[in-house]
Amino acid sequence: MLTLERVSKRFGGLTAVHEVSLEVRAGDLLGIIGPNGAGKTTLFNVIAGYYRPDGGRVLLDGRDVAGQPPHAICRLGLTRTFQIVKPFGNLSVNDNVMIGALNRLRSVRAARVEAERVIETCGLTAQAGAPAKTLPVGLRKRLEVARALATRPRLLLLDEVMAGLNPAELGGIIELIRRLHADGLTLIVIEHIMAAMMRLAQRIVVLHHGETIAEGTPAEITRDRRVVDAYLGEEFVLAQA
Amino acid sequence: MAAALRGRAGALAFFAVAAAVPLAVRDQFFLDTLILILLWGALSAAWNVAGGYAGQVSLGHSAFFGIGAYSAALLSARYGQSPWIGMLIGMVLSVGAGLIIGYLSNRLRGPYFALSTIAFSQVLLIVASRWRGFTAGSEGIPVPFRPGFATLGLGHVAWAYLALGLAILFYGIQVYLERSRVGYQLAGVREDEDAAEALGIPSRRLKVVAVTASAALTSVCGTLWAQYVGFVDPFYVFSVDLSIRFALNTIIGGMGTALGPWLGSILITALETYLRATFAGMKTGFAGIYLVIYGVALILVVRFVPEGLAGVGARLRARWTRAHA
Repeated sequence: MLTLERVSKRFGGLTAVHEVSLEVRAGDLLGIIGPNGAGKTTLFNVIAGYYRPDGGRVLLDGRDVAGQPPHAICRLGLTRTFQIVKPFGNLSVNDNVMIGALNRLRSVRAARVEAERVIETCGLTAQAGAPAKTLPVGLRKRLEVARALATRPRLLLLDEVMAGLNPAELGGIIELIRRLHADGLTLIVIEHIMAAMMRLAQRIVVLHHGETIAEGTPAEITRDRRVVDAYLGEEFVLAQA
Repeated sequence: MAAALRGRAGALAFFAVAAAVPLAVRDQFFLDTLILILLWGALSAAWNVAGGYAGQVSLGHSAFFGIGAYSAALLSARYGQSPWIGMLIGMVLSVGAGLIIGYLSNRLRGPYFALSTIAFSQVLLIVASRWRGFTAGSEGIPVPFRPGFATLGLGHVAWAYLALGLAILFYGIQVYLERSRVGYQLAGVREDEDAAEALGIPSRRLKVVAVTASAALTSVCGTLWAQYVGFVDPFYVFSVDLSIRFALNTIIGGMGTALGPWLGSILITALETYLRATFAGMKTGFAGIYLVIYGVALILVVRFVPEGLAGVGARLRARWTRAHA
């Protein structure tokens, strides 16, 4: 479904992403981990059309979409959430999600119906009428997911939707991601919370200084020497054992 | 139908009163005030399309006003053409100018965009005031009065209804922007462009469309104003004061609300007209009094009702609903 071929992105002298290649097939749930500044979010920005890559190709269903604007890529069925959430603060939760639904629907009325369904799926029904800026951070993350889902993507990129959540909220959003995946959605998930990643992802890609240093199942990743050195640390391996 | 009218009672009342006044009142001064309230309100509504609904705050909208005013005035004074044709040509020119400003809105944000719009209007001012052979320069152009609807040589009552029709049309355009697909998408762009893009909204194109539409509507009002007042002075029609007036009426009345532009216009226009009449005999020292009014009104609104006068209505309605729940 999505293929990256030696994708690079530089900011002046700094290479944020260096010749990263990866393959996502329909139905995958791919995790991306790595230390802060490893280039994870930059990679998302390249895939979703926010940055034009300096090298390499981004193939969506075999078609090179590098350089296309985000809205065009969303039309093709790929969208993303933002690590620093970007709700339409002065609009209600309903309107936020409804605007997402307008991606596929011409009529506002049909989009309202669709939004109601998505809001229910994401567990935001109680807050549907509230202005988005009044939501606590946990629910804002859910809103971010709900709005993206309303565009009816085939491939959804989630950028740290679990960061800053308490354990109860965490369980809820993991459950939500699992359900979406079970319903056939393909996902790429950036996350720092290793325990969650172990439970969710089928495959994990590890980025470090903009390069892929490992790729494999969660079990393989935790045994990988370079990953332990660069990111997980000895304590993690001991705790796992 | 009932649902469509909910929350529109204020607008309905306003337009009904405006429609009734010319039937009952023949006093020219009073009718003149009504016409100006409606016309300044329509201008502010045109500004609101870009500034309020699309979030592109321009302080150079007098550019489009001036284009509309000059197009009709020149065509009518020099070539004897109908001002309706001038209005059309003004719209076409304003669409062109609007595309330029719209392009700028994709390059510059916030205050930088506002400054560039001021610069744009001032360039037009220089052209209009220096190109003596064509525009008569700083002397301005008297617009010939030829009685009849085709030449917009109308009496006060006819002008009042024309201005009312224009106001209702512009009100309707704004309501469309609140309820339609493109309106909601525009609201998304106003709130957060990057998030809007992720939801499949072509934010750059929508901004250009909104600014261009706003420019064309402003130009129409510019034409009508010139025909009504009968004189086009470059230093007035392209002034920054005028641009600020469009913005201020809307901010005071309520940005991004459909009735707000007229609420602001009632306050500012009525006060200005009253003061001008009161202090007419003592020109010196009071010439700039309207600036003081702008300032005081703005401070009061920002301090006590930051969402504008239209917000007061919404608040009262919410309180009433709660009390009767």
